[in-house]
Amino acid sequence: MIIRVEYLSKVYRMGKVEVPALRDVNLEIEEGEFLAIMGPSGSGKSTLLNIIGCLDKPTGGRVFIDGANTASLSENELAEVRRDKVGFVFQQFNLIHSLNALENVSLPMFFAGVSRGERLKRAEELLAKVGLRERMHHKPLELSGGQQQRVAIARALANNPKIVIGDEPTGNVDTEAGNVIMGILGDLNREGKTIIVVTHDPVIAAHAKRVIRMRDGRLLDEE
Amino acid sequence: MIDIILMAYRDLSERKARTILTLLGIAVGIAAIVSLVSVGYGMQEAITGELTVFADLISVMPGKLAGMSYVELGSFTDRDIRDIRRIGGIKEVTAMTHGAAEVEYRNERKPVFVLGGDTDALSSFYVEPVGLDEGRWLRENDYRVCVIGNRVATEFFDEPVHVNDKLRINGEKFIVAGVFKKASMLYAMDVDPHIFLTLRAAKDVLGNEKAKYKYITVRVYNIEEVDEIADELEERINDNHGLDEFATAMTMGSMLERISSVFSILRGVLVGIAAIALVVASIGIMNTMLMAVMERTHEIGVMKAIGAKNSDVLSLFLLESCMVSLIGGVAGCILGVILARVVSLVVSSALGMEFVPTVKVGVLFAGVGVAMCVGVLSGFYPARKASKMSPVEAVRYG
Ligand SMILES: Nc1ncnc2c1ncn2[C@@H]1O[C@H](COP(=O)(O)OP(=O)(O)O)[C@@H](O)[C@H]1O
Ligand SMILES: [Mg+2]
Repeated sequence: MIIRVEYLSKVYRMGKVEVPALRDVNLEIEEGEFLAIMGPSGSGKSTLLNIIGCLDKPTGGRVFIDGANTASLSENELAEVRRDKVGFVFQQFNLIHSLNALENVSLPMFFAGVSRGERLKRAEELLAKVGLRERMHHKPLELSGGQQQRVAIARALANNPKIVIGDEPTGNVDTEAGNVIMGILGDLNREGKTIIVVTHDPVIAAHAKRVIRMRDGRLLDEE
Repeated sequence: MIDIILMAYRDLSERKARTILTLLGIAVGIAAIVSLVSVGYGMQEAITGELTVFADLISVMPGKLAGMSYVELGSFTDRDIRDIRRIGGIKEVTAMTHGAAEVEYRNERKPVFVLGGDTDALSSFYVEPVGLDEGRWLRENDYRVCVIGNRVATEFFDEPVHVNDKLRINGEKFIVAGVFKKASMLYAMDVDPHIFLTLRAAKDVLGNEKAKYKYITVRVYNIEEVDEIADELEERINDNHGLDEFATAMTMGSMLERISSVFSILRGVLVGIAAIALVVASIGIMNTMLMAVMERTHEIGVMKAIGAKNSDVLSLFLLESCMVSLIGGVAGCILGVILARVVSLVVSSALGMEFVPTVKVGVLFAGVGVAMCVGVLSGFYPARKASKMSPVEAVRYG
């Protein structure tokens, strides 16, 4: 079991109003799974992924990643989890615009202290893997949405994480590009990576081997 | 390391206008420090350079020097001069007197300072360094003859005074034998507004009471002994007048010390002014960096989301402000050296005193060092703020 979520809750405080985004969520994900999370907007999907990806902290409950309780990790150790264990793919791509594709993909390896030569070599391989060898030296804004998202996937893979998380990775691209992206995620899953994606689209969700649904911050029973 | 520098460079060059403004702020501050200090050193060296010619000289005044002001306590007497002559190692003693007199030229009357003394001594003090514009210098057997400073000739009276013109000094008729050139800063106060007479003539026009000596200069044989002799000289005159601190005997050594202390105060003031400029510049850097942090909140969030530690973000931002301030510091030094030259030219011609700025390597290093300190210190708060942002909130921003 690579991820275990126990009684996870998250409450956002906006002034005096408390917005419960997650209520007692329990979830276990095995290594090598391809999991899709579906549910209406506002049901807490992003909140859950952010906490699993160590981008955010829960209000209650515990998350174990690869056996480690994230609550007991320091800021630096959480950064290491984000750097080495989890690759995060955003709906908005979130590439750094001043850097070209190659440099964007190298960045997580830079933070990991990988040598420059090795970094560029691996970044090149990863871009080739997502079909962007020809676009290596382009800046993000010179690429289409689908291409940008593929760069983002290559970046997520930079430090060879066991887990890849996508929060609506196909939400900002057309159907065709969406299928390419899901195809890449499927390939990664076949290579042994654990994949978790949020999506609204049942066709996209069909790529996954397991689908869970959320509503009002709760997990619904699995089908 | 190279990449992070490259990245910082790109971030900076993407925000050119503001980076340039910040750079300018630091550069101007550093240029101000470097140029002011260099001009200060240059002036000091020029002045001390001129003064070291007089290393065998002791100037004795009947009064006290306190800081930069002088309080006259009386006059020297013939007995003082006799006693001084008895001290061993003395080559030459010159007594001078001076005082205000009413001077009339073509029916116009003005108060002017009159200075009388041994003509050879006055010549080596004033004529040699300043030079005459017209006419000749005084001779010991001249009587009703005077030589006038340049401002007396050109500014004091409605009509300019020339050689062979006649002046009345306290009612006595004098003929102008010579006119001084305009003096450099060092001599301007001593020469330009004065009328020079022989000692005898000065005693006459100033009257017996005022004719006591106001200034004695002594030359010694051996420069090594000059301070010792100065001390003895003070003691003897003080004894004569029954006061503990009546006479002040200054050697060039003590004069140079005074000058260097005046200049170090001056430099302190200048550096203070420049420091204020730097504080303003550092507020500018802090502002630039804060804006950069704000602008790049999203980017910082992304970097943290893909595994940047707080220390990674901190060092990236600190590196940026270091780069800005290093470039600013170096540019400031270059600008400062140029500025120092310009200022020296202007000041040289304004004061009529030749000098070039003295650029000390230490000052340049200090300039760059100060720039870096300012950069790092003012970059630190924004950088820390950037590094502490929560990744999820930062990513959501913008
Ligand atoms: N930063 C936030 N501040 C306040 N409320 C938030 C914040 N983020 C999410 N929420 C609220 O939490 C709930 C879950 O949001 P989210 O996890 O984004 O849902 P989903 O991704 O399923 O659309 C929503 O009601 C949303 O309004
Ligand atoms: Mg969402």
